[in-house]
Formats: sequence, structure tokens, C-alpha cells
Amino acid sequence: MATLDFNGRPLELNEHDFLADPDEWSPEVARLLARETEGVDELGPDHWKLIEFIRDFYGEHGLAPMIRVLCKRTRLKLKYVYELFPSGPALGACKVAGLPNADGCI
Amino acid sequence: MIYLDHSATSFPKPEPVYTFMDRLYRSHGVNPGRSGFDLSIEAGQLVQQTRELLTGLFGGDDPDRLCFGYNATDALNLAIRGLVGAGDHVVTTTLEHNSVLRPLHQLEQQGGVAVDRVPCDASGFVDPDDIAGRLRPNTRLVVVNHASNVIGTVQPVAAIGARCREAGVPLLLDASQSAGVVPIDIDQLGVDVVVFTGHKALQGPTGIGGLYVREGIEIGLTRGGGTGVRSATRGHLAEYPYRLEYGTINLHGVAGLNAGVRWVQERGVEQIHAREMELLTMLRDGVSDLGGVTTYCQDDLADHIGVFLFNINGFEAGATSPLFDVDHDIACRTGLHCAPLIHEQLGTTKIGGAIRLSVGPLNTEQDITAAIVAVADIASMRN
Repeated sequence: MATLDFNGRPLELNEHDFLADPDEWSPEVARLLARETEGVDELGPDHWKLIEFIRDFYGEHGLAPMIRVLCKRTRLKLKYVYELFPSGPALGACKVAGLPNADGCI
Repeated sequence: MIYLDHSATSFPKPEPVYTFMDRLYRSHGVNPGRSGFDLSIEAGQLVQQTRELLTGLFGGDDPDRLCFGYNATDALNLAIRGLVGAGDHVVTTTLEHNSVLRPLHQLEQQGGVAVDRVPCDASGFVDPDDIAGRLRPNTRLVVVNHASNVIGTVQPVAAIGARCREAGVPLLLDASQSAGVVPIDIDQLGVDVVVFTGHKALQGPTGIGGLYVREGIEIGLTRGGGTGVRSATRGHLAEYPYRLEYGTINLHGVAGLNAGVRWVQERGVEQIHAREMELLTMLRDGVSDLGGVTTYCQDDLADHIGVFLFNINGFEAGATSPLFDVDHDIACRTGLHCAPLIHEQLGTTKIGGAIRLSVGPLNTEQDITAAIVAVADIASMRN
């Protein structure tokens, strides 16, 4: 299991680099995950739009949103989502959003 | 949506298929041929007429040897398990769908059946002499995929059939992808059993398929059930079509298939094939010109159906499916296409298979242009 250094304490990740404990998520953790696992140094407004939608959807449904729903509701093209999160909506955006996995994001 | 997944199932169906199914099922939605009242007799006549249509399509001469099942997988299981037993040997190819591979694997594991799987060449064709060279004294069946659902190549069945005839081994043809788009004449091809599904190029609905069994071939019984005739007989009936039909037939499936086959015959199988090849050629040429794309068995489109297999460099195949869908509204199929051995041979298994675009007779040049634009757009993300 990989770990990241978060302000001097270890942050555990699962085998897919998702947070081992989703309760550890915070905006600061999102920035760390984006930087260390996606190579994204700065999270802009569209990153946060995706992250917030994914977290809200997960909170309501217990699953990640389907890709079509994600793009439709955020009005972002999927190609652009890949530019924001190079690993894509499932393995990139859902991970930075602090979900335990990307189940449902198909 | 631009639908380029016709190898999975044709969609949309020709309008007469929908209207005939609706009309028939409202007016004659009774058990066909089971009872003596007029509607039942007329429904039975529709089933018989559909047997005749399909028998004619395959060049057969006895409509009673055209048996309906649920789909090609169902019919393949009936044929394979009814022709092969312990101690037997089967020859098949690496192009087969899991509907052939898995029953044979089960027989290998459980039934003491030996199986040879003949690889295709780099262009996607099996050498008939390679098949002939694998035949043994105990070979009881050769199973060959007519047209590949993965790479689209149409196998040299007449040459394979000639070798099987010479050796006295029955040839089972899986025509799931070819029936309705490639002419099939079982006499000319030397085929003993042809299996079809209704919902692909025959333009019918899902849930209906079957097989035609040449006279002289007797498929062993592996099931039993109601036939609607001679109910006092303890065992399942031995004569065709009852021999391979169990329980009430999918009447509205037969109705849709009837309308689909008539639609195909009105247009002509050769004409439908020619149209699909025009579209495939346009697609192949347009995508090949882009760069950043790897194609598989698409260099020579002779003896081919409208199936285009490729990968976009830098992407796992499955990652592109939502890009086609969400950004371009194009339906495609990625992955291993239920045919793992050919992907192993192509070397695509390790990258999650490949992308398949498959055309149908109702696609347009505009659809193909949109697909080429989509591939270019997705490829630009990695190149």
C-alpha cells in the first residue's frame, strides 16, 4: 500500500491510489492527490466543479456518477475532463475527489 | 446517436420489422400450432413460412430441418453437444466466439473431448489445408466461424467444406455475423449444419435464432420438453424440427425475423454487403490516413464484412468507448468482443482488446465522416 506525506503524517492509498480512508479527504488532500498521482500542480475552477459534483453525487447515491451524467451535469466535454485529470474521470477525478473507488463511473 | 455496433446487434431495425411484430402479436399472439382454433393454426403457419424463408436463404431443401432456438449460442450448444461425445475430437479455429469456445472447453474439461484450434494467418484467414491436416480418425466435427465478429474476415468455407466432405467429417458453420450479409448456400459450401441468430444482419429482434441441419446429419438429443404434438410419447420426438425445439416458440421473435428476412431478401444479400463494404472502405481509408492509429486485418477488404478493428495509440481500448459515446454520440464496442483467442493472436489482449466499429445497411456516409472525425479528435489527445 502506497503512502503520501501529508503535512508530516502518512496518508495511506489503496492499490489504485485512491484514499484508503475516504474520511481523510479535504481540499488540501485533493491538491496533494492531484499533484502526486495525476501530475496536476494546481486545481482550477473546472477541477473543483468536477470534484464537487462527484462528491455530491457520491454522497447522495453511494456510487460515482456515470461518465455521461458527469459530463452532462457539469457541461464539460469528456476530452476536456481528460485534460484536467489525465487518468480520466474514473481513475483521475474520482480519486482526487476522495471516493474509495470509481464504481459506477462507467 | 450514430450507431456503429451492428456486429453486436443491428439497430435500428427496418421499420417493417417493428410494425409486423406489433401487428402480428396483437392479432395472433397465441401459442403457434398447439391448438386447433384458427388463430393458433395461422400463427403456426407464420412459423412454418419463416422456416421456409430461412431454408431458402441457406440453400436448404427441407424447411422441417430448420429449427428455432433462442439465439446462435443456444443453437451452437445444441449442435456441438448433440454431435460430439467422450473420446471424440473436434477441429475449430482461433476466430471463434465464446459461443463455440466455451462449450468446447467444457466438453474438454468434463467430457473427454479433444479440441484443436487452428490459428488464422496474419490477414485473418484460416488455411483449409491446416484444418484438413488436423483431422484424425476420431474427428467428429469441424466448427468454423463464417465471418469474424472481431476482424470481419470471411473464411474460405467452400474449400474447408470440400476437405471435410472428403474426410467424412460434418462441418458446422457459425453464421452469426454472416447470415443476411454474405450469401450462404450449404450445398455449394459443403456445410452440414448452419447456425444463425436473428438479431444481427437478418434484422430481426433478439431472442430468436436457430440452425438448419442437412439431411443425413442427426444431432443427438440433449434436452427434452413440450413439442405440441404427440404428447403421449414419453421421450422427446426424434423428427425435425421438434427434435431440436423445446417448449413454446418465441412467436413475436419469429414474426420479427420473418419481416427482417423478407426485408433482406427484397434488397438482396449481395447488395446489402456491397453497401456495407462501401461504408467500411470509406471508414478504413479515412481512419488509416489519420496516423496514431493501429488497424488489424483491414489492409485487404476482399472477403470481409463491415467490421473495422483498430486501436488509438496511447489508449487502452476501453478508455475510448466513453469518449466516442459522450463527446461524439457514437456507439461502438471495445474490449475482447467475446472472442479471446483472436485477440491473443493479434496481441491486443494486453491493451484491453481493441475498438470495433461495425456498419449496417442503414448507416450513411455522414455517419462514417462523423466517426472519422471522432477518431481524429480522440487520437489528438495522445499524439
